[in-house]
Amino acid sequence: MQRQRSLVALILVLIILAIVVLVKIPLQQGLDLRGGAQLTIQVKTTEEITEIAPDQLEAVKTVVDRRVNALGVSESQVQTIGSDQILVQLPGVNDPQQAERVLGGTAQLDFRKQIPGTEAQLQIEQQLRQQLLFEQAALLESEEGGDQEEEAIAENQAALERSNAAIAELFEKTNVTGKNLKDAFAQPTQAGNGWQVAIRFDAEGGQGFAELTRDLAGTGRSIGIFLDDSLISAPTVGPEYAETGISGGSAVITGNFDVQRASDLAAQLKGGSLPLPVEIVENRTVGATLGRDSIQSSVYAAIGGLILVLLFMAIYYRLPGLIADVALSIYALLTLAAFALIGVTLTLPGIAGFILSIGMAVDANVLIFERTREELREGKTLYRSVESGFYRAFSSILDSNLTTLIACAALFWLGSGLVKGFAVTLGIGVVISMFTALTCTRTFMLLLVLSFPGVRQKPQLFCPNLSPSQ
Amino acid sequence: MTKFSVIKQRSLWWSISAVIILAGIASMAISTAQLGAPLRPGLDFVGGTRLQVELDCTVPGNCDEPIELAEVREVLNEQDLGNSTIQRIGSAQQGLTIRTKTLDVEQRSQLQKALSERIGEFDPAATQIDTVGPIIGQQLFTSGLLALLVSFAGILVYLSFRFQFDYAFLAFIALLHDVLVTLGIFSILGLVQGVEVDSLFVVALLTIIGFSVNDTVVIYDRIREVIAKHPDQHIDQIVDDAINQTLTRSINTTLTTVLTLVSIFLFGGETLKYFALALIVGFIAGAYSSIFVASTLLAFWRERTGQTKATQVIEAEFLDKA
Repeated sequence: MQRQRSLVALILVLIILAIVVLVKIPLQQGLDLRGGAQLTIQVKTTEEITEIAPDQLEAVKTVVDRRVNALGVSESQVQTIGSDQILVQLPGVNDPQQAERVLGGTAQLDFRKQIPGTEAQLQIEQQLRQQLLFEQAALLESEEGGDQEEEAIAENQAALERSNAAIAELFEKTNVTGKNLKDAFAQPTQAGNGWQVAIRFDAEGGQGFAELTRDLAGTGRSIGIFLDDSLISAPTVGPEYAETGISGGSAVITGNFDVQRASDLAAQLKGGSLPLPVEIVENRTVGATLGRDSIQSSVYAAIGGLILVLLFMAIYYRLPGLIADVALSIYALLTLAAFALIGVTLTLPGIAGFILSIGMAVDANVLIFERTREELREGKTLYRSVESGFYRAFSSILDSNLTTLIACAALFWLGSGLVKGFAVTLGIGVVISMFTALTCTRTFMLLLVLSFPGVRQKPQLFCPNLSPSQ
Repeated sequence: MTKFSVIKQRSLWWSISAVIILAGIASMAISTAQLGAPLRPGLDFVGGTRLQVELDCTVPGNCDEPIELAEVREVLNEQDLGNSTIQRIGSAQQGLTIRTKTLDVEQRSQLQKALSERIGEFDPAATQIDTVGPIIGQQLFTSGLLALLVSFAGILVYLSFRFQFDYAFLAFIALLHDVLVTLGIFSILGLVQGVEVDSLFVVALLTIIGFSVNDTVVIYDRIREVIAKHPDQHIDQIVDDAINQTLTRSINTTLTTVLTLVSIFLFGGETLKYFALALIVGFIAGAYSSIFVASTLLAFWRERTGQTKATQVIEAEFLDKA
C-alpha cells in the first residue's frame, strides 16, 4: 500500500512536469508540417581534388552557411551528412527558386584589367553579345515551340558562350577576387530607375582595387567584373583617379539589374566562392498552408483513432479498460513531453510513429488484462490475479517491445531524415509505453483493488461471465 | 469457451497464405517485365521532380472550372516533358500533380511560369516541390534495404537467444510471409492503381517486421509456458492450447492498432495514406501468420524431427550423453 502511494506521487509529479515541459517548450515541427524547403547539396570532386576531406566539406559548409544567412531566413539549419553532402533546412521559405539559385551557384567573382589596344574590339563584342542576349530572350518568350525553335535556342546559347569567351580574352586577371570581398548588398541606383550592387573590400582587396583603378584611370580601358568567367559589368574609371586610384575599399557594380537579380548577385558574392563545385541533388519544398492542412488532418485522424481505441478498451475490458484509458492518456502526455524535451522534430512520419506507439501501449495493457482474466477464471482472488497477470505478461511485453526497438535502431542507424524521425518517435513511444503499462496501469489497479472492498468483492468488474463456481 | 483448433486445418491456412504470396510474386514478375521493378518505384528511389500546385482560389474566377488536362499536357509537350505523368487533385480538381524527370531550378521555374500563364495563378503556399536526384534515390534505396536486412538479422539473433533456434527460424519465416504479402499486395496495387512505393514504404515494412515478430513472440512465449506446465503433452495439443489462450489478445491488439490506422488512412493527409494502408495489410498478415503459420509450422517441424513431446527431447539428450 505504501509503495502504491509513493508510485502515485511519482506519477503525479511526472504528469505535472510533463505539462510544464509542454507549456514551456513548444514541440518542434518539421518542414513537412510548417512548410519550407529542404535541400540536399552534393559536393563534387574536381580534377585537382579527387577526394573530399572533412575540412574541405566544412569549408563548403561555411560558404553555404553564409549564403543561407544572406537569404535572411530565420531558424535555418545547415548540417553536413556523410562525407560529401550538406543538408539545408529553410523553414517558411516561400521562394525556393531563389534559394536554389543562390545555394547551388558556384559564383566565382573576380576583377580583371582590360588589355591595352582592345577598346574597339570590346565594344564590338559587347554589342554582339547584347544582340545575342536580346535574341535569346525573344526566343524564350516566343509561343511557337517545336524542334526548330529549340535548335535556334541551342545555337544562340552556343554563340553566347563563344562571345563570352572572346570577351574574356580581352582582359587579364588581377589578384582582386571574391575572396577579398567583405560585404555586398543591393541598392537602388542614384538615378532611381534600377538597381546596383554595392561591394566593400578587405584591406588587401581595397589596395589591389586602388592599384587596378589607378592603372586604368583615364585610359578608356575598363575594369572587367567577371562572375563565373562571364563579364557582368565593365565600368571605366575617370581620369581624376589617375593619382591614387579608387581608394577606401568600396565600389558599385552596375548593370541591368532588377531588384531580384541584384539581391541574388549580392547574396552570391557575399557567400564567396566555393572551394568545390556543388549540385543540389534533392529539394523538398512544402507550401505553408499545405503543411498546415496535412498536420490538421493527421491530428484529427490521430485523435479519432485514439478515441476509438479508448472506447474499445472501456467497453471490452470494463473497469480495467477505464484504468488503461487513464494510463494511455498519461502515456500520450509523457511521450509528447519527452519529444519536446529531447527536441524531436515532429514530422508526418513522426506523428505516424507516435500513433503506432499508442497501439503498442494498448497491446501491453491487453496482454496484462487477458492474463488477469485467465487467473480469475482459475479461481484466484482478484488481488492475486492482478499481481500475477502483470508478472506473467511481463516477459511477453519485454520480448515484443525489444523486437520493435531492434527495428527502430536499424531505422535510426541507416535511415535518412524523415525515416530517422519515425524511428525516434516510435522508439521513445515504445519505452514510455512499457513504463506506463507496468507502472501506471499496475499501480492504479492495485490501488483500486486494495482500497475499495466493494471492488474486491466484484471480480466480474474485471472479467464478465465469470461464474462463481470456477 | 469453445476450443478452436488451428492444427487440424493447417493445410487450409498454408494454402491461403501460399495463394496470396504466389499472386504477389506473379504480380511482381509482371511488374518487373513491364516497369523494370517488382513494385512501382516512387520518386524517392528513381529520382525525378514532382510538382504539386493548386490554383489560388482567392483570385476571382480562378477556380471556377476544373483544370483542363489537355492544356497541361500541351504545356508539358512544349517544354519537352511529354512523357510525364499528370494527375488532378483536390475536391474541385483545382490542383495538379506533375511528375517529370529531374528538373533544375531554371527548368522548373520555366515550367511553373508556363503553367500559370496557361491555367491561372497558383497559390505559392500550397505548392509542393520534390526533386530527388538519381544519386539520392540510389542512396535511399540501398539504405532502406540495408535497414531491412539489419533488423532481420537483429531480430533473428535476439529470438535465438531468448528462445531456441528453431523457434527463431520459424518466426523469421512468418516474418518473411508478412513482408511478402505486403510487397505482393502493393505490387498488385502498383499495376492496377498505379500506387508507388517510396521511403515511407520501407519504414512501413520495418514496422511490420517489428509488430509481426511481436505477435509471434507472444504466442511462442505461451507455447513455451504450456510446455513447461504439461511436458508430456503432444505438441499439436500444446500449440492449440497456446493459440486459444492468446487468441483474444491477438485479435484485440490487431483490432485497436488497425483501428487507428484506418482512421489515418481515411482522414489523414495524402502523404500518410498509403503508409497507413501498407501497415494495415502488414499487421493483418502479421496477426494471421503468427496464429496460423508460425505456430502450425512449429508443430509440423517438431513432428518431423520427432520432438513431439518435451520429455522426449530431454530423454534423447540424456541418451546422447550416456
